Amino acid sequence: MNSPTPGPILEARGLVKSYDDGRVQALRGVDAAIAEGEYVAITGPSGSGKSTLLHMLGGLDTPSEGQVLFRGSPVGKGADLDRFRSQQVGFIFQAFHLLPTLRAIENVQVAMLGLTQRNNHRAERAAALLEEMGLRERMNHYPNELSAGERQRVAIARALANHPAILLADEPTGNLDSVNSAHILEILRGIRQQRGMTLVIVTHEQEIARSAPRHIRIRDGRIEA
Amino acid sequence: MPAQLSFTGFAWKNLWRRRLRTLLTLGGITMGIGAFVALVGFSRAFEREWMRLYSNAGTDIAVVETNFLNTSLDQSLDAKIRAVPDVERSAPMIFNLIDLTPDVNALVYGWPAGSYELDALKYLSGRRFQDGKPEAILGNLLADDLKKKAGDSLPIQGTVFTVVGIFHGGTALEDGAVIMPLDQMQAISSMEGKVTAFHVKLRPAPSGESYDDYVKQAEKQIEAAIPGVHADPAADRAANNGLVSLAHAVAWGTSSIALLIGILGIANTMAMSVFERTREIGILRALGWKGGHVILLILTEATALGVVGGLFGIVAGWVALRVLAALPQTASVVSTSVSPIHLLEALLIAIASGVTAGAYPAWRGAHLSPVEALRYE
Repeated sequence: MNSPTPGPILEARGLVKSYDDGRVQALRGVDAAIAEGEYVAITGPSGSGKSTLLHMLGGLDTPSEGQVLFRGSPVGKGADLDRFRSQQVGFIFQAFHLLPTLRAIENVQVAMLGLTQRNNHRAERAAALLEEMGLRERMNHYPNELSAGERQRVAIARALANHPAILLADEPTGNLDSVNSAHILEILRGIRQQRGMTLVIVTHEQEIARSAPRHIRIRDGRIEA
Repeated sequence: MPAQLSFTGFAWKNLWRRRLRTLLTLGGITMGIGAFVALVGFSRAFEREWMRLYSNAGTDIAVVETNFLNTSLDQSLDAKIRAVPDVERSAPMIFNLIDLTPDVNALVYGWPAGSYELDALKYLSGRRFQDGKPEAILGNLLADDLKKKAGDSLPIQGTVFTVVGIFHGGTALEDGAVIMPLDQMQAISSMEGKVTAFHVKLRPAPSGESYDDYVKQAEKQIEAAIPGVHADPAADRAANNGLVSLAHAVAWGTSSIALLIGILGIANTMAMSVFERTREIGILRALGWKGGHVILLILTEATALGVVGGLFGIVAGWVALRVLAALPQTASVVSTSVSPIHLLEALLIAIASGVTAGAYPAWRGAHLSPVEALRYE
């Protein structure tokens, strides 16, 4: 899916994020628009604010100033933000963030627990997603029984559980070797193509950045021209 | 069929990851609920036994001084009570809790040989006692404990009594008791001419008049005839006599402390659990879990601790009551009967304990910033 739809699916308007009573500013007025179905890489040096921007775009954090719009409407706060995260966004993290007490298939289901679906529907969807990730034989294993690459594939399946419109990945290959990195990248690009999803990846790896048609480069909390 | 994860299954897995802590927490709430079931159950059963004691004999009113435990009335007032028009029978009595052996103490009653209350007893062997003689009759439970039968002797407070009969009264307060002539009881208690109370049986209520109104009218007549005494309905005396009030106070006080310890145990466990799972809660929030879902999860875990601890506590309390009822020291005043309402109360208290203890940790978990929680190490 390489033809973006007309309006932006996500838009950042004048995002500022400050800490410590304004003494530290992670974002200093960021404007950005991401089109429906687009694949964007956010790059920049460590501490530049790229993860902070991703968190704002995904509703994990709220800006000190400015706003994030989803399909033209502000994502809101509180329950609206929770709903936005659960229904429109799938997150993938560098550290995988799987729950250690749950099997792979349960880790995928846990994303759906907050929504009203029957237990068997959740389990069937989780199984289908894990099978899609090539983890059919590993779905009843606990995270500590899986390799790093397998854990990240479970995390991707979890991110897809609620049919999100946007996939946000924060350094998804940061803890992986080159073979697994390439595999994960291939999976993410395949998902985007098959599902027509919007994919935003934060990375400092040139190879991953090069795979994205568009880059947003951040330095010192500002987008570089 | 792929493995399914339910909300409650997830809560259970969270609790079971720290098995020892969960079991210790369950131990705390089990003790609290067990204490409630055993102690409050005992005190309520004690009250019911008093009521049965009165109702079995047909006693409508108890005439006492202000304080039932230390009450001391002149026996001569008996004639004045009998003179009240609605009074059919009056029975002066003394009772006390006395050590019969180093291991066994029991309620000891002093009744006149002509007391109408003796009519309600069923004699299993022997006969009634006679006034003026050191004779006693034993309830069947006490007789079994002491291994006494009619014809045996029983020393009480330095006087050797002859056991002249064994009876069954229908309440633990009678079946675990000794009954002797009032004059003998006055002698061993140094209460010559004095009694603890008068039990009064009224004439049948006139047709068309409610029993309660009739009893109230009789109370007023007795109190008017004998200034300075209280004439209370039997039900009130059963609920409010000094021994029952003391039992209620001790039971509620002790079980409240035990329950508080149990609640603090759950609160501590849930607070620790939320603290340890900060990052996991951040993950759930990142996955779109609403704050309300996090609250529900933590409250489910805390309530599960309360419910399971409550069920264990109910069993433990019931076992404790059985043990107390079997011990010679307490058999005379402990009944093993526990009402279903009391057990339901125990379960509701256990659930409320879980919810109360989980409230703050749940609130804290729900208000964690997802991004801060994800950074938590």
